[in-house]
Amino acid sequence: MITAETNPIAIKKKGNRSLEISWEDGHVSLYSFRYLRQNCSCAGCVEEWTGKKVLDKDVIPLDLLGLKAATTGNYALSFSFSDHHDTGIYHFDHLREICPCVICKE
Amino acid sequence: MADKIDEKSILSVLGQVNDPSLKKDIVSLGYVQNLKIDGSRVTFTLALPTPLFPSKEKMREDSERVLSVVPGVTEVEISMKTEIRMEQNARGVSGVKHIIAVGSGKGGVGKSTVAVNLAAVFSEYGAKVGMVDGDIYGPSLPIMMGAKNAELSQNERGIIPIEAHGMKFMSMGLLSKGSAPLIWRGPMAHKAVQESLLRVDWGEIDYLIVDMPPGTGDVHLTLVQTVPVTGAVIVTTPQDVGMTISLKTFRMFEQTKVPVLGMIENMSAYLCPHCGKQDDIFGAGTVATEAQRLRVPYLGSIPLNRKIREYADQGVPLILADPMTAAVYVDIADKLATEIYVRNYNKRTLIIEEEPEETAESFAV
Ligand SMILES: Nc1ncnc2c1ncn2[C@@H]1O[C@H](COP(=O)(O)OP(=O)(O)OP(=O)(O)O)[C@@H](O)[C@H]1O
Ligand SMILES: [Mg+2]
Ligand SMILES: [Zn+2]
Ligand SMILES: [Zn+2]
Repeated sequence: MITAETNPIAIKKKGNRSLEISWEDGHVSLYSFRYLRQNCSCAGCVEEWTGKKVLDKDVIPLDLLGLKAATTGNYALSFSFSDHHDTGIYHFDHLREICPCVICKE
Repeated sequence: MADKIDEKSILSVLGQVNDPSLKKDIVSLGYVQNLKIDGSRVTFTLALPTPLFPSKEKMREDSERVLSVVPGVTEVEISMKTEIRMEQNARGVSGVKHIIAVGSGKGGVGKSTVAVNLAAVFSEYGAKVGMVDGDIYGPSLPIMMGAKNAELSQNERGIIPIEAHGMKFMSMGLLSKGSAPLIWRGPMAHKAVQESLLRVDWGEIDYLIVDMPPGTGDVHLTLVQTVPVTGAVIVTTPQDVGMTISLKTFRMFEQTKVPVLGMIENMSAYLCPHCGKQDDIFGAGTVATEAQRLRVPYLGSIPLNRKIREYADQGVPLILADPMTAAVYVDIADKLATEIYVRNYNKRTLIIEEEPEETAESFAV
C-alpha cells in the first residue's frame, strides 16, 4: 500500500548535485546524487541472491553528478549519473528508507 | 412582474448540489457547462467524469430540484455527458486516459469474462473503451469479443486495433493466427506486451483495460515499467479461502505501487437458470470480508450463471445480449469508475521539477 510515508508529493532536482523529495507525511528528504549513486540497487551494484553490495562506495567520485532524473511507472525514479550509470530503479519506499537526514539516520 | 434571473444566481443555486462521491459542489468541480438562460428557461450540460450510470442521475435530479424553487425559472433542461478526466502523465500511451489491469491469483477464475463485460458496460454508458490482451500465452479477447477471424493491419501511426461492439482491442493472439501456438519467451513476451500498448494507434480512449495473465510475473512488470497504470482490479472466487492465492497478486501490485482499485468476487453463488433463485454454494461474503481487512474497495460479486458463459463463448458482451442479467456488471463498473475519478481528483501529479543548484549546502555523504 502507498502510505503517506512513501508517497511523494513533490520531487525537485536541484541542479546536478541534489534531489529533494517531499513526502505526504510532511517529511522532506534531501539526497546528493553521489549518495543516490552509492545506494544503487541494480543487478550490477547489488548481488541478486545474497543482497550483498558489490559496489565499493568509495570509488564513486566526489564530484559525481546527476544528469537526468525520470519517473518509472508511478512507483519509482531512475537517474542518469555522470559516470554513465543508469540501470538502477529507485522505488519510493527504498528512497524513503535511505533518507540521509539526521532524524532518519538514528 | 417576473423575477430577473442571471447566470450568477443560477450558479450559486447549483452550488448547493454536491457530487456525492467527492462531496464537493458541481459548480466548483466544473461539471456545469454551456449554461444558457433564455427568458425563464435554463439549459445546461452536466459533464461528469464517469460514464453515465443510473446512479449519476441523482445529480441531475438534485439540480432540477434546487432550480425548481428559484423564482422566475419555469423550465429547466439538463443534458448529461461523459468527460473522463486524467492527471497529466509524462509516460502515458498517447490518447489513453486510464489504464486498468484486471488480474487474479490463479487462472480460470473468470478474469477475461469480467474484463470484457466491464469494458462493454463502460462503453454502453458512454465511455471510449479499449482492451489489451495481456495474456499472450492464452489470449481470449478475440473469441470473447466475437472477432476471432479479425486481422491486424497497420498505418503510419501504428497497429490499427480491432473494433468490435463499439470498442477497440489489441491481441497478440491475432498475430499467431493459423500457425502453431506461439511460444513467447521472456524477452519476447516483454516486447509483445510493450507493442500491444505503445505501437497501437488507439485514437481517443477513456479506459484501456488490460486482461492480465493469472498470477504474478513478467507481463506485470513489463506493464508497470512501460506505462503509468491507473490501478488494478483483482478477480477472485470464494474457493480461494482466506484469499491466500489472490493475496500474492495483491502484494505484487502493492509492491509496484499500482493502486488496487477493488476486488471482485466471481462465481460467488449459483443462480438457478429456471427459477432465478440464488444458492450460495461456497458461503457468501468471504471476499468482501478480506477486502475490508486489506482496506481495498469491494466492488461486488458476480453469480455463477450459465448465460454468462454462453454469451462469452458466442462473443457477445452480456450488456448487449441480456441487459437484465448484466445489471450486476453495471453496478460494479459504476463503483470502479467512481473509484477512479475520486482517486484521480485526489492525486497530485508526479513531476520532477528542475531547480537551479543551491549554494553552500552540505550533505551526509
Ligand atoms: N460468473 C460466471 N458464471 C458462469 N461462467 C463463468 C462466469 N465467469 C466466467 N465464466 C466462465 O468460466 C470460464 C473461465 O473464464 P475466463 O476465461 O474469463 O477466466 P480467466 O480467469 O480469464 O482464465 P485464464 O486464467 O485462463 O485467462 C469461461 O468458460 C467463462 O465463460
Ligand atoms: Mg483469461
Ligand atoms: Zn547500479
Ligand atoms: Zn529523513
